Amino acid sequence: MKMKLTRYQQEMLDGKHGEAKQFCMDKLMDFGKAVEATEMVDLVLTLNCCPIYVKDRLEPKRLEKLNAYDLGHSPLYDPIFAMKDAHVHDESGTECGNDPYMCQLDKAKEIKGPPNGKPWNFEIPGKGTFKLDEEMVGGFQAGYDKLMEHGWLPWLSCNPYFNTRIPKMGEYAASSESSAACYINTILGARTNRESAVNTVYCAYTGCLPKYGTHLDEFRAAKCIVELTDEVRDNIKGMADWGALGAAIAEKAQNRIMAVLNLPKKMGPGATKNLISCASPGMNDPMMHLMGYTPESPTLEAAFKGKMPKNPERYTVTMEDVVEMYRHLNAIAPAPGPERAKPVDIVFFGCPHATWDEVREVARLVKGKKVKEGVKLWVQTDTPTYFMAQHYGDTKTIEDAGGHIFHQTCIAMSPIRHYPKGTVIATDSFKYVKLGGGFGPKWIYGNPEALVNAAVTGVFTPTARWEYWSKPRKDRLDSERERPLYQGERPMVD
Amino acid sequence: MAQTIVLTGIARSKGKVKAEAMVNRQRIGWAFNHVGNEDGMVMAPGADTKGKIVTGKIFVYPTTAGSTSGAFSLYYKCKVSNHGPAGLICQEVHWIDISGAIAGEIPAVDKLDQDPITTIKDGDMVEIDAPEVGEKATVTITRT
Repeated sequence: MKMKLTRYQQEMLDGKHGEAKQFCMDKLMDFGKAVEATEMVDLVLTLNCCPIYVKDRLEPKRLEKLNAYDLGHSPLYDPIFAMKDAHVHDESGTECGNDPYMCQLDKAKEIKGPPNGKPWNFEIPGKGTFKLDEEMVGGFQAGYDKLMEHGWLPWLSCNPYFNTRIPKMGEYAASSESSAACYINTILGARTNRESAVNTVYCAYTGCLPKYGTHLDEFRAAKCIVELTDEVRDNIKGMADWGALGAAIAEKAQNRIMAVLNLPKKMGPGATKNLISCASPGMNDPMMHLMGYTPESPTLEAAFKGKMPKNPERYTVTMEDVVEMYRHLNAIAPAPGPERAKPVDIVFFGCPHATWDEVREVARLVKGKKVKEGVKLWVQTDTPTYFMAQHYGDTKTIEDAGGHIFHQTCIAMSPIRHYPKGTVIATDSFKYVKLGGGFGPKWIYGNPEALVNAAVTGVFTPTARWEYWSKPRKDRLDSERERPLYQGERPMVD
Repeated sequence: MAQTIVLTGIARSKGKVKAEAMVNRQRIGWAFNHVGNEDGMVMAPGADTKGKIVTGKIFVYPTTAGSTSGAFSLYYKCKVSNHGPAGLICQEVHWIDISGAIAGEIPAVDKLDQDPITTIKDGDMVEIDAPEVGEKATVTITRT
């Protein structure tokens, strides 16, 4: 199948716009053949990862470090960095930027000092220390400098779609950040695959990509219906609830695009982000039809792209499914004893980067309290939110309590496989538990108020709300008859 | 006596290779958190092959799961750290893994005429012959 190119794309392929564009077009043409694409799409946004740029990456000692630190993308940039004419954006207008990285750039010098309780240099009492390698951080800085020279934007966040480059309905993007891909497709109605993070390197320098997958209606159509019970609709409240709900929806749909019915009436930015960031760990096609919310889903017929079967497959998500997802994500059993508490080392918020409502919630919960000595409370967010939090006092509240807030960085980008053995991490991020689940640390998944309580006391204790919902359904309903927990139509148990 | 089964499918990344098969019945990706870049060890929770080393094996699995970084992590394992698999056989090679296999210069095939997950067994000697992307590929399974 022959690829039809525009005049400019053909000129790039022919080398008329420089060596770098030609090199990248060649790679994209190879991929286009494999996916049987017949044309390229014009991109408005490319989201990828910043490389570790070092000389002689095969030198044995350096290679050993890179094997631990490099996600695998850095060598792909080497040939492009060696070309004198490499640049992005200029003719294409494609805004290019990166996911967060392993360290906040202006704090990198802190890895030279003693442990200071931040993700790049910390100690866990009785378990050991972790410090990012100076050479690797230097390599990141060099990669970042090179990208800036080439015209990339320095957003260093998984959420540029909130505030930096917001693709419009029908526009094309190439996002290798899965949560961003699902948000861009679902909420904005622009079109991106969960793009291969190899392709996004080449997309950046050409501004185009073979048209395939989620660019096409066929791969955006709902294939089944997932309906929430009224009990779910009325009782999802914490950020972890939203993540667990997204995961439960994805699990029911068995890796297919779904139309979701009976969602809660209001979903704030943090809630929407957490619901949707189930995409990477839960499903391969980054698209959900949230009926009543999303632009491509005004009706079920539209969500199925005109191909709704007479009796589409239907699945139901109950509160039991949501509770089961919490159980699945909690990798450690409670400690013995009446309080059933679980000791924690790190309490972590912001994967994907925390929205302002999430930052403010942590600040509200921790206000006037003190994080227990030895325990870390980390909040990571994007740069605009970081400075809003500073301006409006949330940062001071979190720091006064002994917590830390960061931008530009994400601990998911650290080699957590090399964190001190036995580290226990508590978070409200479904995505992060799934990303880090195989690496060795133990995981606790919970809502912000339980997490902040864990940071303050040093132990994670189930809330009364959890006690209620985790009971077998019959016991739960019986307990309510004995001692009504709420008045009116919404059970508010806390 | 050796038993031989020949399957035909479609090449998604080209190459010819013969190696021992490792079968994983669950969806799994190639990101650094699923299969270590530094040792080729499977770390994905719940995977059949958890704790095993994929280096030099032909890895058989339904399709990908998880991070898009599977694309470059697969490339990295194949071309830089030398802990990558020798080839991929899937029910469907996902787009993420196609680009990783092309960059990693290993063959990847799918759409076989029998389900590879049930047809191929751990330890089978398997040869992939995938001369051209998008064209017919053969998978020859030898079991002793």
